[in-house]
Amino acid sequence: MYDVINVEERAKPTVTLTNMGFANDAESASRSKGVPVLRVVPTAVPCEASIMEDIEAGVDGALDAIIAALTRPLTAEEKSPKPGEPEKPARIIFKGNLEEVNRFFYQRGWTDGLPIIPPTEAAVAEMLTGTDLPPDHLLGKLQSRNGKATIEKIAINAVMAGCLPTYLPVLIAGTINLLESEPGFMGYTTFGFSTGSWAPFWIINGPIRNQIHVNNSSGAFSPGNIANAAIGRAMGLIIKNIGGVRKGIEDMGVMGNPMKYSMVIAENEEESPWEPLHVEHGYKKEDSTISLSFPQTYLQHWPYSADAKGILNAIVDNAPRSMRYTCILTPTHAKNLAREGYSKEDLKKYVAENKLVPLSRVMAAGMGGPRPPGAAPGPMPGKGTEMVPLIRDFRFIRVIVGGGPGAFIAHIVGGGATPGKKEIQKIDLPKNWDKLVAKYKNVVPTYAKY
Amino acid sequence: MADCFYEVLSPWAEADPVPFRGISPRVDSLDGKKIGLLRNSKRAAQPTLQVVEERLKERFPAAEFSWFSNLKPNETAIEQGRKDEFEDWLKGVDAVIAAFGD
Repeated sequence: MYDVINVEERAKPTVTLTNMGFANDAESASRSKGVPVLRVVPTAVPCEASIMEDIEAGVDGALDAIIAALTRPLTAEEKSPKPGEPEKPARIIFKGNLEEVNRFFYQRGWTDGLPIIPPTEAAVAEMLTGTDLPPDHLLGKLQSRNGKATIEKIAINAVMAGCLPTYLPVLIAGTINLLESEPGFMGYTTFGFSTGSWAPFWIINGPIRNQIHVNNSSGAFSPGNIANAAIGRAMGLIIKNIGGVRKGIEDMGVMGNPMKYSMVIAENEEESPWEPLHVEHGYKKEDSTISLSFPQTYLQHWPYSADAKGILNAIVDNAPRSMRYTCILTPTHAKNLAREGYSKEDLKKYVAENKLVPLSRVMAAGMGGPRPPGAAPGPMPGKGTEMVPLIRDFRFIRVIVGGGPGAFIAHIVGGGATPGKKEIQKIDLPKNWDKLVAKYKNVVPTYAKY
Repeated sequence: MADCFYEVLSPWAEADPVPFRGISPRVDSLDGKKIGLLRNSKRAAQPTLQVVEERLKERFPAAEFSWFSNLKPNETAIEQGRKDEFEDWLKGVDAVIAAFGD
C-alpha cells in the first residue's frame, strides 16, 4: 500500500485493487500516510485467491472502475484535500453512572468488550503514583494513527483494565517496546494489524515479577491473577486507544485471537536451572524487564518420557511452522534437561537442527513466491522431497521456565522480532517503589476451603 | 441504593493531523500508454494483475505493460534500499495499477 503512495509522490497516477473487505483498511492506511484520497477499487477477487475463475470474475467486475480511476479527472478535493483537524478529545469525556460509563465507552469502541473500571480523576491520579514521570510526558507516537503515548493516557487505559499502580512501570516499558519495535515485517507494524491475528505476548522477568505477583506457575495463562489479566488487557487497550488499531479496520485479523485479551507470564527464575530470558539479553538478574513477541498459536503436549531424549523429541515432533517460538518448560523438565547437560542454547540448537520437513512443505506454505528459509530466488531445487530444517536459525527460539506441577510443555508460536532487534525493555521503577509494593502486596486471591 | 456518578477521562489519545496531500493528475486514456503493474508477495496479487493486463490489452492494444514486484511484506521498495530501481521503473510508465492480494 505504501509503495503506491511513493508512486503518487513521484507524479504518476495510481489505482489500487483490494478485496472488498479491505476497503476500510486501505482508506485508513492511506489517510495515516497523508493521502486520504488515494483511488482504491474494491474488487470481488477473494483474498489470497488462486482459482483463476474467481480472479477473472473479480477483475472483470472491476475493470471499468480500474480504467476510470486512472483516467477520470481529479476533483478539487483529490487535488488538494482539506487539512485534517488535530484530534484533541476533551479530557473529561463523560459523566454518568457505572452502567452509563461502560455503555458510552463501549459504543465509542474504546473497550475490549468487557466492563471497564471508570477512569476518574482520582483513580488516574492513584495510578500515576506508579511512576515519577509527569502525566504529560510523551513516550512517542504509536502507530497506526500516531496517537500520543503520554503517561496520562497509559494510566487511563490502565485504570480501565483494572491495573494496580504497581503495574504502571510495566505498561510504560511495554509501550516503549511497541514504539521501538522493529520496523517492517517482523515488528508491531505488521503483527498489530495483520490478517494473521498475531497477539502481543508479554514475558516479565526480574524482581518485579514477585513484587506484583505475576503468576509463573499453575495456570499462569488462565484467568484469576490480576497482574497476568490486567497487564495484557491494558496493553491491548493502549494499542487500541493510543495506537488506534481497531478490529476490522486496522487490525485485519481473519480469525482473531483470544490471546489478544491478555497473554502475560513471568519466568520462574527461582526454579530454573538456566539463566533467565533477560540475562540472555544482557540485562542483570536484578533488573526487571518485559519482553514482547506476537504469537498466533498456543499448543501444549506431553513429553514422551521425563528424560532429555523424551522431552526433546516431543518438542521437535510438536513444533509447528512459525517465525518465532517460545517454548515453556516446567521446572521439572528444565532440571531434567540440565541434569543431562543441556543448556538453553543446546535445547534451541537441538530443536532447530532436528525439526526437519520435506522441502515441498516449506515451499507450499509460503506466500506468493514461497522459498525455503535462506534460499536464493530461482526454480525449486530437486523434487522437494529432501528434508530441510523448518526453523531457519536456533536464535528464533526462546526458552523460558514456567507452569505448575505436571508434565505439559507449551509452545507459543508466531511472529516476533528478528533476533538481535528490539524485543525486550527494562522496567524503570519510581522512587516510592518499596512503599507502593507494600501498599498493594496483599492484593492476592485467598481461596476458601470447601 | 443511589447510583454513584463518575466523571471519566478520555482514553483516546490526542494525535496531530498528518499533512494531507493530493494525488497525481490522471492520464486522458490508457490507449498507447505504458502501464506499470505493482504487486506484493501475496498469492492473489500476481494472477490478479495478469488478468488485468490481459483485459487491458484487449481493450487498448497499443498499451504496454511493465511489472514491479516488492515481495518483502510491509516494507516499501524504498525502505529496502531499492529506490533507484523503483524510480527507474517509474520513469518508464505513465500510470500504475497495484494489487496486494487482499
